[in-house]
Amino acid sequence: MNAPLRARGSAPNPPLLEVCDLNLEFRTRDGAVQALEGVNLQIRKGEIVGLVGESGSGKSVLSYALLGISDRAARITGGEASFGGIDLLRADARVLAELRGREISMVFQSPRTALNPIRKVGRQIEDVLRRHALARGSDLSRGLREGAIQALREVAIPDPERRLNAYPFELSGGMCQRVMIALALACRPALLIADEPTTGLDVTTQAAVMDLITGLARERQMATLFITHDLALAADYCDRIVVMHAGQAVEDAVTGSLFAAPRHPYTRRLISSTPGPAGSISSLAPVPGNLPDLRRTDLPACRFAERCERADERCRRIRPLLGESQAREASHRVACWYPDAADAAGADPVLAGREG
Amino acid sequence: MSAPRSGVAHARHVLTENPVTLFAALLFALLVVLAIAGPAIVPYDPLASNAAAALQPPSAQHWFGTDALGRDMLSRVIVATRLDLGIALAAVAASFVIGLPLGLAAGYFGGWWDRLVTRLSDTIMAFPLFVLAMGIVAALGNTVGNIVLATAVINLPFYIRVARAEANVRRGAGWIEAARLSGNRDLRILVVHLLPNALPAAAVQVSLNMGWAILNAAGLSFIGLGVRPPEAEWGILVAEGAQYIVSGEWWVSLFPGAALMLAVFTFNLLGDALRDLLDPRRRT
Amino acid sequence: MSDLPDPLLRVERLKKYFPVAGGRGSMLHAVDDVSLEIRRGESVGLVGESGCGKSTLARLLARLHDPTDGRIVFDGADIGALPAARFARSPERARIQMVFQDPTDSLNPRFTAEEAIAEPLKLLASLGREALRARVAELATQVGLPAELLARFPHQLSGGQKARVGIARALAVRPDLLILDEPTAALDVSVQAVVLQLLERLRRELGLSMIFVSHDLNVVRLLTERVAVMYLGEIVEVGPSDEVFRSPMHPYTRALISSIPGQGPRIRLQGEARSPVDPPASACRFHGRCPDGQDRCGREKPRLVSVGGRAAACLLAANRVSSSA
Repeated sequence: MNAPLRARGSAPNPPLLEVCDLNLEFRTRDGAVQALEGVNLQIRKGEIVGLVGESGSGKSVLSYALLGISDRAARITGGEASFGGIDLLRADARVLAELRGREISMVFQSPRTALNPIRKVGRQIEDVLRRHALARGSDLSRGLREGAIQALREVAIPDPERRLNAYPFELSGGMCQRVMIALALACRPALLIADEPTTGLDVTTQAAVMDLITGLARERQMATLFITHDLALAADYCDRIVVMHAGQAVEDAVTGSLFAAPRHPYTRRLISSTPGPAGSISSLAPVPGNLPDLRRTDLPACRFAERCERADERCRRIRPLLGESQAREASHRVACWYPDAADAAGADPVLAGREG
Repeated sequence: MSAPRSGVAHARHVLTENPVTLFAALLFALLVVLAIAGPAIVPYDPLASNAAAALQPPSAQHWFGTDALGRDMLSRVIVATRLDLGIALAAVAASFVIGLPLGLAAGYFGGWWDRLVTRLSDTIMAFPLFVLAMGIVAALGNTVGNIVLATAVINLPFYIRVARAEANVRRGAGWIEAARLSGNRDLRILVVHLLPNALPAAAVQVSLNMGWAILNAAGLSFIGLGVRPPEAEWGILVAEGAQYIVSGEWWVSLFPGAALMLAVFTFNLLGDALRDLLDPRRRT
Repeated sequence: MSDLPDPLLRVERLKKYFPVAGGRGSMLHAVDDVSLEIRRGESVGLVGESGCGKSTLARLLARLHDPTDGRIVFDGADIGALPAARFARSPERARIQMVFQDPTDSLNPRFTAEEAIAEPLKLLASLGREALRARVAELATQVGLPAELLARFPHQLSGGQKARVGIARALAVRPDLLILDEPTAALDVSVQAVVLQLLERLRRELGLSMIFVSHDLNVVRLLTERVAVMYLGEIVEVGPSDEVFRSPMHPYTRALISSIPGQGPRIRLQGEARSPVDPPASACRFHGRCPDGQDRCGREKPRLVSVGGRAAACLLAANRVSSSA
């Protein structure tokens, strides 16, 4: 079902990361939790893609699966994921270990817990450089140290020579996050996965960190997958946004198009339930119902069906695929049997005015 | 999210979920039955000596053989259950009742309360605990009561430590602040709010301590402190049989020793089950 | 600041200092010389970033902590004078209640929802057993919590359900003032919308005064009539919510608002906030990071200066009566 995108003539920029129909479940004592179903995703070189969803949508699960660091109870039950020709799901452990940190990197949510608390920050960066043997110069230790200082400088940490010897608890949240970004980018990966990198940070620090990540991404033509629950944040920084609900990808569109004319009912509700600079409290329209229990064996084919006012038998029995309903626009795909029309009025004119 | 189980249904679930738990529970039940009904069900009078039948190996009439005075070993081992379990239970209960509140107060209030209680706990733990117990019994007198006291004293630090940790972790929690907003004063917070939360961890401690307390009591008796002959107690029984091992009469020490081992083993296994029983998070 | 008669809560020059471990008499100025008034039925927002003191201030007003200096006058009674431990049993305790940030952390894991909601009623209101159960049922309906969930433990409830239990508990004893410390920060965005609408409805129906502490400016704007912006323990700007957001007077407020996603060109602040330990007595605490700072900002401490119905603590604010954001 991914074919439409690639078959559309010659793609000058073929996808760097391609996820096809990915299914993942967790084996638990109470049964299997169908965490991901039929997820399609492509990211091209230099593209910043936002993966947006609420808790339980599967967005973090997806990123861990791509890196091969899923929980032990996770099982891939279908689909493919390839990065630069390498099959991420079936590759040898050694191949994956080479990829991680070198070609694909990850920035995690709480910087203080993601960093080793008893190891100096500089040493942690040197560890990454050493692992991927990227130190230059005959004197290995000096080369590593220089590399670490350079990495810290690139994330705008003042006085990097002194900060090398700091422990994570001595740094503020924002600084720790910068260190983690330095760790992730030390080897100049081709793809960066940022999993809620600014949750828990102050809004001014958040802006600075996002500016840093996207600035570096643009500068190095690095593909970025930015995972967040904050729609407005994704709108501000991402070229394209993929919306996830209950383990399914429901909409995939260029940012401007997504907000100007959201087509999936869930996306529409998500936008209208986010408090914005305009509007009153009564204009907030929350998403009805609750996330379906993913342990159920009788889940409707479209997992939003039970919360959707338009759902009918077809929605419950046959899963709508991303991109099936409209063949024309590659820039805006929706997985819905009854999506809003492509030119329907947008939910938020302010957010819509933004392009990529 | 699913509805909670009732207390009884939860107990049944805990017992059947893990076969080890069930096994431990059955052994525990056996020990309790022996402790309570022991004297009534034994085949021979544990104190009745019979010189003619001294040092007989295990046989149909004497399943565990006889000791140097011709007394039936099976009866003596069974009857000893009551004393050993009784001592351990009394000691652990005393430690629990005194140590838990002290620890909770230390962890919740901090300040000089904490310093006082921690110093007390540190002082006790500075001694090799068995030697301390020996010293207490030797100083206060060679009675069963003093064994209980000594065992209680040396177990105190464990409860203080567990309670203090549980209180410390929770003292800044939102629900403690909410409890203050609801009109709770400190004492009520300690008793109604913190204590139930500290119980699961304390329960595991109880179980481990029971095993240890039995060993401790047996050890003291083994070296002649505390329980005196002709009372039947596993430690004493092992001591009485120790001199005969070399000459080949292995059964006089082995069976009391095995009983000791079984009891400690049971209590160690029971620890996890007790915690599961008490923790509401497991109630689904 | 308004001098309308009879404010419900008047805070006068409130201070909370914490001694710094190891330092010789060094004090951390968590809340420094804060004065504020809340009228009956008014909803006031308290915004700022981490370390600004808003949570400490909220806990001082809820009388969970004792102030180092200053007065808290609630409906004429000086409630700051009584130590927090004794306040638990004073008649004012039931009139000021609080909703917490993390719904999971704010519920005793061993209490059912019903027991949690009933507790303030047991201690602060003398109700018989039947009356108690009836009141709990009434509160559950009021906050939209299905009755069958009352017998559940917190780990069996969803985030939104736990939040409702926390709100029901806070409303149980019919408080006059409700302090909310980031009540929706830990919730998903669609659950947040539901809870915010619930709070708005309750405020209208019950005539509550509210202090809404949050770092999310969009949310604060929706639920409050006035907002106070805090920085390093001090209030740097106060005014009607809409006006403060549309045309902020203080440079920090301007930077804060510009950092909200979607608010146009971002004002970048240099460095990090200075330490709240022993701050300088005669300089603006924002000096050094302020994009508009001048030399005299480092020599003179700005006071909260009123301009119309608004106030800002900035030496240059007098020149900015109506600047654009």
